Order: sequence, then structure tokens, then C-alpha cells
Amino acid sequence: MRAIFGVLFLSLLLWGSDATIEVRKGVDALPSIAVEDASVDYKKGLSKRFFRVMVSDLNVLSIFNVEREYVTADFNDKSVPTVHKKIDYIVRYQLREEKGVMVVKVNLFNNDKIIHKLTYRIKNPKQYVFLVHTIAASLNDFMGAEPADWIKEKVLISRTTGPGRSEILVTDYTLSYQFSVKRNGLNVFPKWADKSKKYFYYTYLSHGVPELRKYGIYDKSDKFIMKSDGMMVCSDVSDDGKKLLLTMAPHGQPDIYEYNVASKKKKRITKYSGIDVNGQYMADGKIAFISNRLGYPNVFSKKITGQATEQMVYVGKSNSACTAHNNYVIYKARESANAFSKNTFNLHLISTKTDFIRRLTVTGINEQPLFSRDGTTVLFVKKYKNQSSIGVIRLNQNKNYLFPLKGGAIQSIDW
Amino acid sequence: MRSLLYVSTVAAMLIFSGCGSSEPTVDDSANANNQAEEINIVDENSDNSNMESTDLDGGSTTLESIEAKMSPIYFGFDQYKLTEEDIDTLHQNVEMVKNDTEAANIADKYSLKLEGNCDEWGSDEYNFALGLKRAQAVKSELINDGIVAEKITTVSYGSSNPVCTEKTQECWSKNRRVDFKILP
Repeated sequence: MRAIFGVLFLSLLLWGSDATIEVRKGVDALPSIAVEDASVDYKKGLSKRFFRVMVSDLNVLSIFNVEREYVTADFNDKSVPTVHKKIDYIVRYQLREEKGVMVVKVNLFNNDKIIHKLTYRIKNPKQYVFLVHTIAASLNDFMGAEPADWIKEKVLISRTTGPGRSEILVTDYTLSYQFSVKRNGLNVFPKWADKSKKYFYYTYLSHGVPELRKYGIYDKSDKFIMKSDGMMVCSDVSDDGKKLLLTMAPHGQPDIYEYNVASKKKKRITKYSGIDVNGQYMADGKIAFISNRLGYPNVFSKKITGQATEQMVYVGKSNSACTAHNNYVIYKARESANAFSKNTFNLHLISTKTDFIRRLTVTGINEQPLFSRDGTTVLFVKKYKNQSSIGVIRLNQNKNYLFPLKGGAIQSIDW
Repeated sequence: MRSLLYVSTVAAMLIFSGCGSSEPTVDDSANANNQAEEINIVDENSDNSNMESTDLDGGSTTLESIEAKMSPIYFGFDQYKLTEEDIDTLHQNVEMVKNDTEAANIADKYSLKLEGNCDEWGSDEYNFALGLKRAQAVKSELINDGIVAEKITTVSYGSSNPVCTEKTQECWSKNRRVDFKILP
């Protein structure tokens, strides 16, 4: 009997560490939380927007059942309002202006007692969204939950504004903050240059020959890197920012190249007469990429230094995009044989170590998946009924959230 | 022993619940909380502005009229090989330029840019490569027709440059094309 139990327990541990297996938690088991606005003499519009983003963040953290009703309170009141007496946790915040700076104080209550205090100052109140995300990540850490630093990350999107026109925006994962940094012409495929997120690579297309350029969001530098007849896309940047995976076509043939940022030398990684695109760094010196070498787009892998390629996905009719994180790959797959059916494109998660496949989305066109740096969360683009949205998938919590873009369509994202 | 059996049973239930085939829960409730605040900054440092309009010797009107006479080449879904019909259309374009004295003079002086385009299906990076393969297929046929390779450039716009934005098959088929542009 002990042996049986031991095997079962070991199986549970092994399976539990595989993100391809769905984890479904009972919603009722989560503690409840409510947010109270205790701002004094501050712009009501901003303090209410602060409330809404805070509620949204707490919801996305997926560790609470979040009350959505807007409630005000006195910041110095040592107890919680009657309406919140049965709520497990209360986040009470106060915005106030002090010598031209916005000061934000946060108290976290549990059982009518303050159990955690936070204070922040921000010079530019327009960036309040990132402050809310910082507070949410801090509360998440205080609760001892799985780290959620991804919530604070700046996101890049290329937004199509018309035929042959697009702009690049710096935003957050909810699209609440939007700052246009590149306009005029076709600016596509933005990719952060490194973890500092001060520079990004992008493709500029207006002269006819696609150019890879590097833009500084603070110093506004705009440096030409290289160009390639036909096509030039930065598909991925290595973790240390020293190497890039490019899809380019110096001789009219789209293949994957690795570019060394320091030496400025490029090395051809794939050599195929069809289409090889979307190179993504994986563990063990490998890349995942999309190729039509079977007659339709599918996911393959190969060693950067080797020649042999390996088919990674055996399910799906048209698997034309992928993202990789260590031994996990998420790919976009068409669900039906009909190229134009309404049962369109969904995202699937696979592990290179097991045979499991987990479907991550259920409706609409879901594409351009991107792992967070810690691999716990996935950002993607959803197109549904003529609207583009950013989607967030919490893999371990098995929850999806959507944040629609008002106007235009999302061409590409990075975070 | 009974408690050990109970724990084992619970562990087994947990394992099999992990294998369930039910779909992930989709929570759209966060939609209502999205507060967009757009800050528009005009990028004055960019050297990319005003690069699209070029005044050519031949007169832009003439160039545009020649471009308008050259029929785009259309492709099937996820296809980049030319059909017999496509090759006929290409030959007609070439003959049109050869037989028009003004067009032939301009063709001698300028280069030809082939712009590959795709419909909205497929991923954007794959579509850029697909558009390029379409432009390359047209380039190869033009070279077979005697056009000098050095006078032809190719570029792909993926699905970023549609001529039709309706959600119909007829519209999507118009976007799977290669356009002809004349460059100085």
C-alpha cells in the first residue's frame, strides 16, 4: 500500500510541475479583497481610474476574489466600512499632492487590522498605471504568491493606423497607458533590445528596402542597424541582449539568421528554399521556428550550430506562429480544415519533455503569443469581431484576461 | 491503513482531474476596467518623415498611370507559385510597357519594385515571408522574360497594406497580390 501511495504521490509531483497540465482551482477557495479610495482633494477622475486599474490588477493576479464596487473611506479610519466587514482583505489607498508630486499611500487590512503599509511618490501622475502595477506586484509578494513582476513590465505594440501605416507605442499590459514613440510610415515588429527596456529594435518600411533600426525611448536616438532586400524582422533577442534572431532575405529567400550585436556579424541558421521565419531562442542552444517545409506552416526546432531540423508539432492545420521559454513552446494553430471558417486560430502549449498539449484559448483569432521572462504568464493578441485586444494567460492559475485596443489593430507586440 | 487508502484515493482523484479535457475558463470581465489614456508625442528627431513623396523626372502622374496599367498578380490562399493565368497577365504587363514608347523610355530609366502582399490570415511574420515569396516568384518570371535582374527590387508588406478591408473571401483574395511600382 505504501508503494502504491508513493507512486501516486510521485506522479502527482511530476505532473504538477508540468505547465501543459491544466490546473483548475476552485474560485470560492480564494480569499476576498476590496479596494477603497481614500484620496483627499485629488482629481476625482484620476483617483477613480486608479481604482479601476487596481481592481483589474488584483483580478489578474488570480489570488483573490475581487470586489468591483467603488467605495470611498477615510484613510485614517482604523476599521473598515460596514459594507466590507465580511471581506478578507481591504486595500485602502490615498492619492494626494505634495509640493507638485503625487504621493500615494496604501494600507492593507485583514480582520480590521493594518497588516502592510506602502508609500510611493510619482512626479508624473500620467504614469500612475505603472505605479498601480508596482503596488499590485508588492501586494502579491506580501501574500507570498508566485512572483508577478511581469505585471510591471513596459509593453511595445505596433498599431496599424491604415494601409501601409503603423505606429509604435509604449504601453502597459492593460493598454491603459499609451505613449507613441514612432510614427510616419510603416513601423513594425518592435522588440526590446534588452531587459533594461530603454531601446528597441524595429523594422522600418517606407523606402522599399526594409531596415532594422534601434530606437531609444528616452534619448530618442534612432540608429540604422542593417537592411535586407525583401524582408527584415527581429524575431527574438537573447536574454543577455547580445544576440538577435532575424528573419531576412539578402538574396530574396527568407531564412533565419543570428546577429551578434557586438561584432555586427550575422550567421545563417536555416537554409531552405521555402519559408523559415519566427526564430525563438530555446534551452540547450536550440531555436524553435516556423517553416512550410511540409507544405504548410508548422513548428520546427534545430540546434543553432547544427543542420538537422525536428518537427515539434503534430496537431493543427496551419501553425504559423510560436514562442518558446526553455522547454515550453506555445504555438498558434488553425482549428479546422476550412481556411476561412469561424472556428479559427487558438493557442496551444506543449512541452519538449512530454507529449501533453494544452489548449489555451477557445474563441476568435489568437496569435503572437509571448512568454513572460519567468515563463508563468503569456501575452497574446486576440482579434475578434473587428477588434484587437491584448490577452493575458496565467498558466498556473488557468485564467485568461482581455484588454481591448480602442482604434486600429495590433500588428505586433513585445514585453 | 484506512487513512492511507483515503489519502491514496484523493491523490489519484487529483491526478485524474489534472487530465480533464474541459476548456480553460475565459474571463472577459477585465474588459470593463481598461482605461486608455493616449499620450501623443510627435517624434521630431525622426529622420523618417517626408520620405514617401519623390518628384520624378518623368512626372509622377505618368508613372502612376503606367503603374495603373500593370495588373496586379493574384494568388491563392497560402500560395506563392504562379499559375498559367498569372504568367499570361505578367506577359501582358511586359508587352504593354514595350509597346508604349513613353512607358518604355521610363522603364529604361527607372527600376521596378515588386510589392508582395497577403490577406489577414496567418501570422504577421509568416505573411511577410509569404508576400516576399510571391514577389520573388514574379521577379523570376520577369527575368525569364528578359528583364534585367538588377532593375527589379522586391519588398513584402505582409498583411499591412490591404486594398480591401471587408471580411469576405472576395476581399481577402484581392489582398493576396503583387503590385508593380516604378522607382527612380
